[in-house]
Amino acid sequence: MKLDRFVPAVHWPSVRGRARADAGPLLLVAAVVAVVALLAGGTPPLLRGTSDDAVRDAIRRAPDSAAVQVDAEWADEYGPTGGRQRQPHLAEDVDSLGVLAQTSLLPSLQKSLRPPVTSVSTVSLAITDGSVQRRLRLEYLHTAAGGPVVTWVAGGPPRASTKIPDIEVPLTAPMWPIQVGLSEAEAAALKVRPGDKVPVQDDNRNPYNVRVSGIFRAADPNDPAWQLAPWALNPVPNVDGLGSTRLAGLLSAESLPDARLAFRTDQLRRGVHFETDPDSLTWESAEALAASVTELKAGSSVSADYGNGLKWTTALDSLLRDVRDQIAAASSQAAVLLIAVLAGALLVIGLTTELLTRRRAIALATARQRGASLPAIAAELALESAAVTVPAAALGLGLSVAATGGAALTWVVPFVLAALCAGPAYGVLAAARATRDRRVPANRSARRWAVRTVLLRRTAVDVAVLALAGAALVALHQRGVVAGGTGLDLPAAAPALVAVAASLLLVRLLPRATRLALRLALRSRRTLLLFGTARAASTASRVLPALSLTAAIALASFAVTLHATTERGLTEGAWLTVGADARLDLRSETTADAPELATRLAAAPGVRHAVAAQVNEVARFTVNSVAVDAELIVVDTAAYRALLADTPLPALPAVATKGSPIPALVHTSDGSLTPGVNFSLLRSGDRAAPLTAAGSAPGAGNVVIVDAAAGLEFDPNTIWITGPGAAKAATDLATGGRLTTLDNALTERRTAPLTAGLLRLYWVAAAVLLALGLLGFALAAAASAPQRWETLARLRTLGLRPRDTQRVAAAELLPMVVFAALCGPLLGSLLARVTLGPLNLRLLTAQTENPEPVVSWWTAELVTVAALAVVLVVVVLAESALRRRRRLGEVLRVGTAG
Amino acid sequence: MSALLTVRGIDRTFGAGPSAVHALREVTFDVEPGTMVALVGRSGSGKTTLLNVIGGLDRPDAGTVVVDGDEITGLDEDGLSRLRREKVSYVFQTFGLIPVLSAAENVGVPLRLAKADPREREQRVRLLLELVGLADHAQQLPGELSGGQQQRVAIARALAASPRLLIADEPTGQLDAETGLAVMGLLRGVVESEGVTAVVATHDPVMMALADRVIRIADGQVTC
Repeated sequence: MKLDRFVPAVHWPSVRGRARADAGPLLLVAAVVAVVALLAGGTPPLLRGTSDDAVRDAIRRAPDSAAVQVDAEWADEYGPTGGRQRQPHLAEDVDSLGVLAQTSLLPSLQKSLRPPVTSVSTVSLAITDGSVQRRLRLEYLHTAAGGPVVTWVAGGPPRASTKIPDIEVPLTAPMWPIQVGLSEAEAAALKVRPGDKVPVQDDNRNPYNVRVSGIFRAADPNDPAWQLAPWALNPVPNVDGLGSTRLAGLLSAESLPDARLAFRTDQLRRGVHFETDPDSLTWESAEALAASVTELKAGSSVSADYGNGLKWTTALDSLLRDVRDQIAAASSQAAVLLIAVLAGALLVIGLTTELLTRRRAIALATARQRGASLPAIAAELALESAAVTVPAAALGLGLSVAATGGAALTWVVPFVLAALCAGPAYGVLAAARATRDRRVPANRSARRWAVRTVLLRRTAVDVAVLALAGAALVALHQRGVVAGGTGLDLPAAAPALVAVAASLLLVRLLPRATRLALRLALRSRRTLLLFGTARAASTASRVLPALSLTAAIALASFAVTLHATTERGLTEGAWLTVGADARLDLRSETTADAPELATRLAAAPGVRHAVAAQVNEVARFTVNSVAVDAELIVVDTAAYRALLADTPLPALPAVATKGSPIPALVHTSDGSLTPGVNFSLLRSGDRAAPLTAAGSAPGAGNVVIVDAAAGLEFDPNTIWITGPGAAKAATDLATGGRLTTLDNALTERRTAPLTAGLLRLYWVAAAVLLALGLLGFALAAAASAPQRWETLARLRTLGLRPRDTQRVAAAELLPMVVFAALCGPLLGSLLARVTLGPLNLRLLTAQTENPEPVVSWWTAELVTVAALAVVLVVVVLAESALRRRRRLGEVLRVGTAG
Repeated sequence: MSALLTVRGIDRTFGAGPSAVHALREVTFDVEPGTMVALVGRSGSGKTTLLNVIGGLDRPDAGTVVVDGDEITGLDEDGLSRLRREKVSYVFQTFGLIPVLSAAENVGVPLRLAKADPREREQRVRLLLELVGLADHAQQLPGELSGGQQQRVAIARALAASPRLLIADEPTGQLDAETGLAVMGLLRGVVESEGVTAVVATHDPVMMALADRVIRIADGQVTC
């Protein structure tokens, strides 16, 4: 038995001839495949790179949360007589804690963390010099490099307070003296010199004997040790959230044992601090790191006891979890958009293949009649298809590698396979149909039965598509897009499937609509309109052209809606963050001038409102003995209400300015504070202040707003400014503090790696989808051109003027254009409404809730209409130019009935 | 009596160089008004090319064609359109009806192009459908009619604008013999009843018998 009996005989001249004759459509297929391969192959590597950047960006923006802190308490060390014994080598012991912590780290974690900073901190002591609330901590800092290095500008480093290194002190001994160094800024703030005592006491009003040994200047203010305790260099306001300013005295290795003797064990905290190195992280390593951190925290001691274990504290895992959620949201949207592009491209490939098959129908039928078997025809078409799609896909992937450094095959392979098979499948079907024996039955009832069979088949396909789209939509709402999945999962395909299914339903209505238009045209005297409508009614039953155009425009509108919603969300997020056009966070030394500065700012040109407020980001309240942390804002509520009315932020309800308990506006995300509830503000060194929730505060999260005249301490540290000149006025008039403007906050959000990447992807996807839709329209016009030309030629034999043929052609193509221009954007907005929620856009926009879709109707509609109008005119003119080259008789001779 | 159609020295060549095809060479003849002329010849002899040139669908390389006093070889496209609207109409082998319009609406198309009054149009359409025996099928779509009926609609459409010259290119080519015969009889009848001059390209001997005159064409030349 010869094996070649089973190998289809390929007729190479036919393959070459067909390819030459249809070089245009084949090149178009190649171009679509190459573009899709570039986009689908390049997006995953780009997304990976962007995810890496997002992780690093998150670490850089929140270094405190990303740091890993190790705490270890110490036991009392009593001397032979029962007193507390000074430990002269305490600094070495503390430093060794850093080594111990580092060796306890998993290797993956070690690689991602910077060298540790070891520290010993005392409790915060109140400075009792009669000034505003200021508190002092004593800090011992040590880096692996031996830092931090300081230069003593007055006095000298802290020395031991005794000449007996291991002196034993009775428990009842008076307060033990401690020497500390102070930075220049802090010495100036405290108005002390070397040798002076700093009057301090703890919360139990026990005094401490702290003397200044010298005044120093940091050799490198950026030394990691200073990042850990910035209050050792400069006074830091509002660290504890209660309006007090923190300062620190620096302990040396010599004075540390004295501090140990001066403070009780529970008043001293020693620890090791690791900063995370963002440059060492990638998205994959961050995932592993999060797992390591979780493992470390799980194995951590509940109370750190030296010798038994270390207590590890870090928010790195939750920070990475937040970034992971953001990346998952971004990946979901990227997957959704890519599938949308793939769907649009597949429809265009289908149209191109249909066009090719129409052009080849006679040749294929002839080949079949001459004896070519269907497998042979399939083989020939498959060879041709492979010769077109495989190199095009390779080109697209090559460009992807060149542009993004990688190429993912997950998306590309199924698409290329579909493109590869479409041509042979269509062609074989056409060849089989052309030569089959089945004829239109003469019997009328048999004809009706055949029509019903076709209708049933069509309905079954429609129902299947609808069911698939419905299932995808339900899956999207129930489980969302699977982060890190293959990208081809059903939920991610929901928007594309819903767009296709809804477009299909609408397209099924198109024949009815054109028939209605035809009936109206028959009653009118507009002859050209009648001919155009008649042609449109003849071609309206072709589903693929209108489906391709409408679905592509719907998905493009969806991408534009995503863009507009994200943009609006970023703006809202920026408003929530800044609270006005500009926000000035004052330094401690300038807070006293805040009311006067606010008045001057309000009078500055271009400023509409300027309101000073005391903002404590974290204040502790108790409600029915349960602690609640919330942001406390003490402000002139009338002025604040006027300021908020000048912004898109929610309005502030009226609240009484005085009362007992103090009236407050409240909002908590867990509902623990609701209007009518009495609660208390815990204050450091003072009695708790009783409050009552008199109304609901606007905004999100936990917030308590109290009027400045209500009786709480009012030490403004923030000024909100509105008006076009807000930023300039703040820059010109403020002498210190940190200025945050709305524009800067918005720019920062827009340029964040994930949002910037997604905003670009939205546009690219919208542009590609629109281009695919327009290409589909042009292809549909090309596919129906022969019949149109023949009809126009017939009409010309009846007296139609040549210039009127363009109008008839335009009138024929117009219904599809109008249909797509109306239904596409409408479907896009509906699509956004039904699919936006599960995409978790709020994770990227920093909004408190998932945003409502922002439908930029005019943008979508105008761009769509303009693009379609341009393509319609180009198609009509190009066709007209081509028609002019052919003689009327020639068209009629080759034409068929039509 | 002066000729309705005068054809003088028509040449038409397709292509150039060695592969050039001389479709018509020095074709000259006249057709008297109200007569039916059968144009006979083998496939590729130039019948359709000659009909296209006579009807202004194609331009000759040389020679003149005069229809009812208008030299159509000198008309521009608008002039040709006017000529086709007012004086010349066609019947094709493939009928060429608009599939989504009813038989009556198809017949009314030339009258719409001529901007005829709707009432007059309806009357004329009704009359023509009665003439071709399809008054009962006025509202049927072409797809619902048989081939012969479709060709009769095409003939009614061709007559709608009361042309002086009717050009038919193998009008029975797609019809069975019986239906073809009926269509030929119809053509003969409308020539007489409407006073139209007809030039019909055909292979059919019956049609030749029905014609007032037969012009034979071979290799692009009129042989008798």
